[in-house]
Amino acid sequence: MINFPLIFFGKVLSALSKQANIGHGSTWPGHIALRVNKSIINELIEKNNIKIILIAGTNGKTTTSKMLKSILEKAGFRVLHNASGANLLNGIASALLLHASTTGKLPYDYAIFEIDENIFPVVVKHLIPAYVMLMNIFRDQLDRYGEVRSIADKWKSAMETLPRSTKFILNADDPMIAWLGSGAKNDISYFGVADSQKKEMEHAADTIYCPNCNTKLTFTSVVFSHLGVWECSKCFLKRPKPTIQSYSFYPLPGSYNRYNVHAAVLTARMIGVNEASIKLGLEGFEPAFGRYETITYRDKKIKILLSKNPTGFNASLRAVQEEKAKYILFALNDQIADGTDVSWIWDVDFEEFLPGFTEVFVSGNRAFDMGLRLKYAIEQMTRLDSAERANGIHSASHSTLRDEPSGSDSKSSESPKWQIEESVNKTVSAAIEMLPKNETLYILPTYTAMLEVRKILTGKHIL
Amino acid sequence: MKDLSITVGWLYPDLMSTYGDRGNIICIKKRCSWRTIDLRVEPITAETTIKKLEAIDILFGGGAQDMEQEIVMNDLRGKKSTIIRKQIEKNMPALFVCGSPQLMGNYYEPAEGKRIEGLGIFDMISKHPGKNAKRLIGNIIAEVQWENLTDRHPEPRFNRGNRSEGSNQIDSSPLAQNDSLIVGFENHGGRTYLGTNVKPFAKVVKGYGNNGEDETEGVVYKNAIGSYFHGPLLPKNPHIADWIIQSALSQKYQEDIPLTPLDDTLEWRAHRFIANRMGVEL
Repeated sequence: MINFPLIFFGKVLSALSKQANIGHGSTWPGHIALRVNKSIINELIEKNNIKIILIAGTNGKTTTSKMLKSILEKAGFRVLHNASGANLLNGIASALLLHASTTGKLPYDYAIFEIDENIFPVVVKHLIPAYVMLMNIFRDQLDRYGEVRSIADKWKSAMETLPRSTKFILNADDPMIAWLGSGAKNDISYFGVADSQKKEMEHAADTIYCPNCNTKLTFTSVVFSHLGVWECSKCFLKRPKPTIQSYSFYPLPGSYNRYNVHAAVLTARMIGVNEASIKLGLEGFEPAFGRYETITYRDKKIKILLSKNPTGFNASLRAVQEEKAKYILFALNDQIADGTDVSWIWDVDFEEFLPGFTEVFVSGNRAFDMGLRLKYAIEQMTRLDSAERANGIHSASHSTLRDEPSGSDSKSSESPKWQIEESVNKTVSAAIEMLPKNETLYILPTYTAMLEVRKILTGKHIL
Repeated sequence: MKDLSITVGWLYPDLMSTYGDRGNIICIKKRCSWRTIDLRVEPITAETTIKKLEAIDILFGGGAQDMEQEIVMNDLRGKKSTIIRKQIEKNMPALFVCGSPQLMGNYYEPAEGKRIEGLGIFDMISKHPGKNAKRLIGNIIAEVQWENLTDRHPEPRFNRGNRSEGSNQIDSSPLAQNDSLIVGFENHGGRTYLGTNVKPFAKVVKGYGNNGEDETEGVVYKNAIGSYFHGPLLPKNPHIADWIIQSALSQKYQEDIPLTPLDDTLEWRAHRFIANRMGVEL
């Protein structure tokens, strides 16, 4: 039974919190509503016959959600989308209350919820999803999320509590995700990426031993990290055959976005969306904040690629390398939302990508840690000329011996020039100032640094 | 000058490299290459021959997740552990960070499941106080107890940064008085208690260290160091990196080989950031 006074009360609270400018992301009306009625979410969803799509994974949640939302909307569905966060349930309840009429009617057909690694088991206690999309599991913020294996175990238990009606969309190329599907009785569809030529595995690969029997897996090809065509020689667990592994149109570059597109297209097809709407939906897709977002600022072109863990960072570097990027800015913060431990930067393969850049700007409150990582990734870095120093930008000194043996001279001409400055604001301004007209500045920030960068470039807070 | 070369054995790089651990290998390799010392990295895996293991000059181990830990220990027990123990007795420098020192101790009691017997290189025990116990997470700063390191040089020779660099006086700080500090990050559930046959590597200044109780951080036996610092311990602590390199050279060539000083301005800058963040003025 829906509690009408509660909905009304929740709506008043939401309106008040908006009025008081506490922020769009306020979750406390939902918190209070859930305290009063634990099953409010489920009741509202059932009453309105809204189908829930959950999406979990270390990387790709936001972009894939937005792609799927765009497709479903092109097909005429009304879609509610909620980004991930620690207070996800409160957030969902708040969002539902905000949009519900006082009689509890909601104008949505589908709701897409992004869920953090640890939240998945909690969420399925409160609602029954029609679809669950599991993208990948990589090492990310061990201080918050824990180890790859323990996340997978939690997900497996959570999956077992769901009824047969829930359909799963799983990544065949990630052994840990495919393993989750191996014993399930539910309807499972797999996506993957068609064979790549790459055989070498990056350092930041996590699942290289069989999740079932601990034997080292054989990879016949690798797309990136531990995603690829794999099998176990002992227990014969192997990459399931994907229903989809290529598509005719990709709105964003980078192989990681192929996974995102395939997952969105596969889910849309399972829902019954026609091919024309899928294509139109992807063509009309706009990247989410900081996820390959392009901004024009003072007639200069800037692209922002959120890069918050080793696999995501490598993927960003590969994407900008494919675009022959010359001007690059790294912004490393260590706020709670970024992860307070910045050790992971040593798992990023900078060695492979740095020589292609001409100017490297390093900023964020952990700028010196990032600078140090870069120093150890390259033969020699040369500081930018002294003009920048006058503007308050510190330039790091030559990182190598002054009496370096000859022969490295030829290398130094290929090495990028660099500068380090903790202030993101100063660094972004300086980088844009010196950016030639026809070039693009690529910014690879962690989460809170991305918010800072956007604030500078758009003048707006997004949270 | 003759051509110098050393080999670092890296324990199970694909199993024991949880979170930036390879930063230590990158650091040693680069600091050797800048000095034209040839450094080879020898991954120690299930396939590594005894001969190859006997030829290493430095041993490094990083952290492992639970599942991987089991695979590692199954391979390490037996022949490999006998050789490693022998080399450490002969003063080979070694560095174990994150969870790996637990495996080198007498035993480790996890939160759940059976006690894991260690290799017994360090006379110490580790236990996890239970699933609901607080993990010890955060930035950490500790003071190295050089006198506990058995190298022939009680004070390591290292460069404290180029003071004359530029106009912004990056290294005009009185770092010289505090060159025994190490800074980093710890993230562990287990608590370690040292026995009588080993000494602590450092004394905790800010943070938790071995157990959050007795102010000890890490462990030293001969030239082997264990530390709860996880991930890249060496890059922000170049004095420790150079101590390891120098010890390896002295052992291998049986003579005192001074290291060419490097410009470590950036290293000390990153080092100082953590110290300042934790309220320790440098």
